Amino acid sequence: MLTVILCLVLLLPVAGAVMAGHARAEESRGIAVRAALAAALLAIWAAWSAFPLGYDVRLGGLPWLGREAGAGLFGLLLDPLATILLLVVTIIGFLTVLYSHGYLTEHNQEHHGTPEDQGRYYFWLLAFMASMVGVATAPNFLQLFLFWELTAVCSWSLISFYRSATSLRVGFKAILMTHAGGLFFIAALLVMFAQTGSFDFDAPSRMNENLRGWVYGFLLVAAWAKAAQVPLHTWLPDAMEAPTPISAYLHAAAMVKAGVFLMARAVSSGWAVPHGVGLLMAVMAFVTMLVALSFYFLQDDLKRLLAYSTIAHLGYVLLGVAIGAMGSPVGLQGGVLHIICHAFGKATLFLCVGAVAWITGSRSISRLRGVARVMPITAAAYFIGVVTVTGIPPFAGFWSKFMILAGAIRLPSPMGPVIVTLVLVESLVAFGWMLRVGQVVFLGPWTPTGVERQPILLPRSMKAALWVLMLGCLIAPVIGIPLVHRIAP
Amino acid sequence: MITFRLLEAAAAFLIAGALGALITARRGRRGAWVSVVAVSGAAILMVASAVRAFRGGGDPEVSALPIRALGAALRIHVDPLSAVFLCLAGPIALLTTLYSVEYMGRFVRDGLTKYYPVLLILFLAIGGTVVTTDLFWFLVFWELMTLTSFVLVIFERESREAHRAGLKYFVWNQGAALGLMGAALVLWRRAGSFDFEAIRVSLATLLDTAPVTGHAVLFLFFFGFATKAGILPMGTWLPDAYTAAPTSVTAAFGGTMTKLGIYGLLRVFLHLLPLGPATTIWGIVIAVAGLTSLFAGTLSALKQDDAKRLMSYHVIGQVGYMFFGVGAGIALMQTDPLLGTLGLVAGLFHLINNSLYKPCLFLGAGAVEYRTGSRSLSALGGGLGGVMAGTMACSLVASLAIAGVPPLNGFTSKWLLYATGILGAESSFLLPVAALVAMFISIVTLASFVKYVAGAFLGAPVVTPAGAPPIRDVPATMLAPQYVLAGACLVVGLAPFAVLRLVHQAIVGLPSMIGAPDFASLLGGSNTTLALARDGITLASWAPVPLTAVLLILGIAAYVGLQRAGGVVTRRVPVWACGEEENPAELRYRADSLYRPFKDVFHGMYPRMPVVRFEFPDFLRRTLDLDHWLYQPLARGTQGAVRGVSRTHVGIPQVYLLWIIIGAVAVILTVLLVTGGAP
Repeated sequence: MLTVILCLVLLLPVAGAVMAGHARAEESRGIAVRAALAAALLAIWAAWSAFPLGYDVRLGGLPWLGREAGAGLFGLLLDPLATILLLVVTIIGFLTVLYSHGYLTEHNQEHHGTPEDQGRYYFWLLAFMASMVGVATAPNFLQLFLFWELTAVCSWSLISFYRSATSLRVGFKAILMTHAGGLFFIAALLVMFAQTGSFDFDAPSRMNENLRGWVYGFLLVAAWAKAAQVPLHTWLPDAMEAPTPISAYLHAAAMVKAGVFLMARAVSSGWAVPHGVGLLMAVMAFVTMLVALSFYFLQDDLKRLLAYSTIAHLGYVLLGVAIGAMGSPVGLQGGVLHIICHAFGKATLFLCVGAVAWITGSRSISRLRGVARVMPITAAAYFIGVVTVTGIPPFAGFWSKFMILAGAIRLPSPMGPVIVTLVLVESLVAFGWMLRVGQVVFLGPWTPTGVERQPILLPRSMKAALWVLMLGCLIAPVIGIPLVHRIAP
Repeated sequence: MITFRLLEAAAAFLIAGALGALITARRGRRGAWVSVVAVSGAAILMVASAVRAFRGGGDPEVSALPIRALGAALRIHVDPLSAVFLCLAGPIALLTTLYSVEYMGRFVRDGLTKYYPVLLILFLAIGGTVVTTDLFWFLVFWELMTLTSFVLVIFERESREAHRAGLKYFVWNQGAALGLMGAALVLWRRAGSFDFEAIRVSLATLLDTAPVTGHAVLFLFFFGFATKAGILPMGTWLPDAYTAAPTSVTAAFGGTMTKLGIYGLLRVFLHLLPLGPATTIWGIVIAVAGLTSLFAGTLSALKQDDAKRLMSYHVIGQVGYMFFGVGAGIALMQTDPLLGTLGLVAGLFHLINNSLYKPCLFLGAGAVEYRTGSRSLSALGGGLGGVMAGTMACSLVASLAIAGVPPLNGFTSKWLLYATGILGAESSFLLPVAALVAMFISIVTLASFVKYVAGAFLGAPVVTPAGAPPIRDVPATMLAPQYVLAGACLVVGLAPFAVLRLVHQAIVGLPSMIGAPDFASLLGGSNTTLALARDGITLASWAPVPLTAVLLILGIAAYVGLQRAGGVVTRRVPVWACGEEENPAELRYRADSLYRPFKDVFHGMYPRMPVVRFEFPDFLRRTLDLDHWLYQPLARGTQGAVRGVSRTHVGIPQVYLLWIIIGAVAVILTVLLVTGGAP
């Protein structure tokens, strides 16, 4: 039964994509929303019924790989870690599609969309959703890799969606950099298979110390590229050329999370990451957080600001995973919890910015003033998003950050307090800045930009998506904490 | 379990009220009344659970919502100290909400969607903070309190000052809260749980094994609570934020939220920290911080012209009194339990009194603002006493109470504080000096409230501009809270015994209060007189009712004897300006003319922290921009190389043949090199 449901979660978006791609413009929207909704509901059902047991089914194989990996190579896996990502990609995927329903219309003051583009848009968006479901439910590294590269292709197409010179260039840049990381993934796969004859998640832990370090190191580079970590982070801020719902989904909630998901998977299967790799992961996570933070102060484009914030928060997740790798599982649990908490918070923020640009045609921090006067719900959502990602209770980010810190303080002596201090300083500065930007843009007397349509009204679908996300910012930990508790050595 | 159920119901009332207010916010006053009903329900339940705690030591701890990975759970236990704060928070929440019903009508440009729901959640957070015995949930409620109060501070959407004040408030308090979080984590590492009992053990071992870390943890706690309480210099946010918030909110802040800093201090330094050398050190630190704040805060209040700002500086000053009492008590507890207990009782009692008169003062200032639209004492020019008699009477009572004029409640707690200082001469000569400073500041307080009352209420009646409606007193829902609070000031002043017993019970119930004297040996068992005794000898006593009666009789006698018997006639004539014809308004002695010499001497008394403007260094930006020096050159290089290779495609067969030959030679040479010529 569960197999059928999970297959449907994977295949419904594919079917939806094909149908939406061929349908006429106005039909494609409806098809996409229905397919995404069905997938999300089925995913929730699957998560609910698999929660007490965990679930693993193997289907087919590649005969030429020999007996060990030949039979039952492919399949579906739904353990707590997979459930977290599955829920994120389907629920937020559905909300993105819903939001796009209102966003991609001729009333959009930022980009006047043309109806013919809609089929293409929904095709790639749903295809992306399906490949993320594949990443989440992959039972081994090989299947994960296949879907991993599919997400890169969809991402490339969606970044270049508007087909302007800039968007084509940055789309190319994105696929080049993430694919370069993918090559390291292949290298890791080859070493792994040559040594153990298997692609299982715990295969690297069966190897000798030296090679194990290399394999995890290669996986780490792949994760850095996908999750936009220093030094492979520069594609993400540029990718903000994409339509805003795409930025929200791919570059905040889902695709970049594939990178950190890979590391969480690698660490939590076997708990055998060498200390050196763990340390490298932690140090680079810090470097990423600080580099990203330093770029906050230079941004005038709200979306680019959020992109840097995303980079920093993926750093948080990797920091948590690294702390887990260095022997403090609470850190990894916190990191995984941060995947879902940050996804809701950051999607809220992006969709707010999208709504603001939809109305005013601008994303510039220096031009927008007093937007709350005309868009109170969007303003409320922005501030809720800020306190969610910066971690003010009772909103989601607090719980995950606290768990990461609790993991850190358990590490051997000088490292724990140093990590805690640095994280606290970073979060205070980031919090102050995001709040200030919010006050500047949303509060104060309203200054129109001059391109607003009158009366200023957001489409109902965009409002609904924002409402659900705001609620999600509050209840994400309620879903996440019981799940992450089950990820333990 | 009953306590838990009561508090659960109170929380349910508040949450339901918040949701109800959210839904009905756009329908005129309906949201306001929904909130009033919800808060009254919650207040009754909070007081009921407090009464249970006072009666029988409360119910055993109940825990809910466990987070296994962290060893945290929502542990609820109401001990007498929590009960004291519940008794304050509930009624004051009710009074300020009731006051809001009419008062919030002032704000025509801002919707109430962001007011009542947030206010109710703030009360929930305040209640949660004082009843949990789990450090993790304490932090959760603490930060929730900061978040909701921030939203209330920036309520006026179009006021840039409010935003600046709010940002400053939130960043300072968030910084302090993160410090608390760090401290909690260090203790958790050893304890494995956030339960207060486990943390107490962990803190004791930490101070033994790693004293530096232990004191750093205590510093973080002190910093966090002092920031919330508005102690100098961390309290720099307080005057701005209090002034920016709607006055009903300011009253709630002044009456409940700021006081939780003291609650935190008592919890940490007398519950989590066992009695020992560390308590003495930190007691001194707290007392000194309190003394500086009461001095600088109150003197800064003297020169303020904005009524709310003036009162905000007094919040800092008054919190200084409490810190002084609590700090001295903690410091003396080990060597002199009698005096230590006296200081603590005095500090906590002063907190209760302050929670009665300070909201009353803020509500009075709000009432004046509601009717006149102004808070500037100079602009008001006095004269409101005739038309706003109720507000004036309440403000006068509260002003005298805060200045410590007998028989009002402020006097009793200040009397106890002075007694602690003077009797503490045996331990340190500094204590009597501190008591003298506190007395001096009490006079300064009186002076500044003379300024307030005179500037707003006394003097010739105000003349309203032609066409404007005449100024009336505020509606009943705004007056009633003021009457209740002013009445409480008087009642507690005349009969402090019952309240002092509860305060004493709250203080001695704390785990570190070993050897604390019982109430009878501390303040005498009488219900008419407070008698401070040591070794059986009464050193000082205060009998409110008889002494007040005597003073009253003497006053009446003086009035009858001097005024009537002397046949003094009061003449009402215009002010004589040496024959010059002047506009009477110009001849008024305005509020900003008062206390000039003080203002000149104590100019810049209160430290102001300049905001450093941060310029991001250009070279760093270029270094961090990897695209600039790594990827773009790499891409360009690759492109160049590829273009170079493409140039070899010329389409001439001979050239291709040449390439093949060169290639073959290169391969042969390589093979020869690798194999060394061997076949």
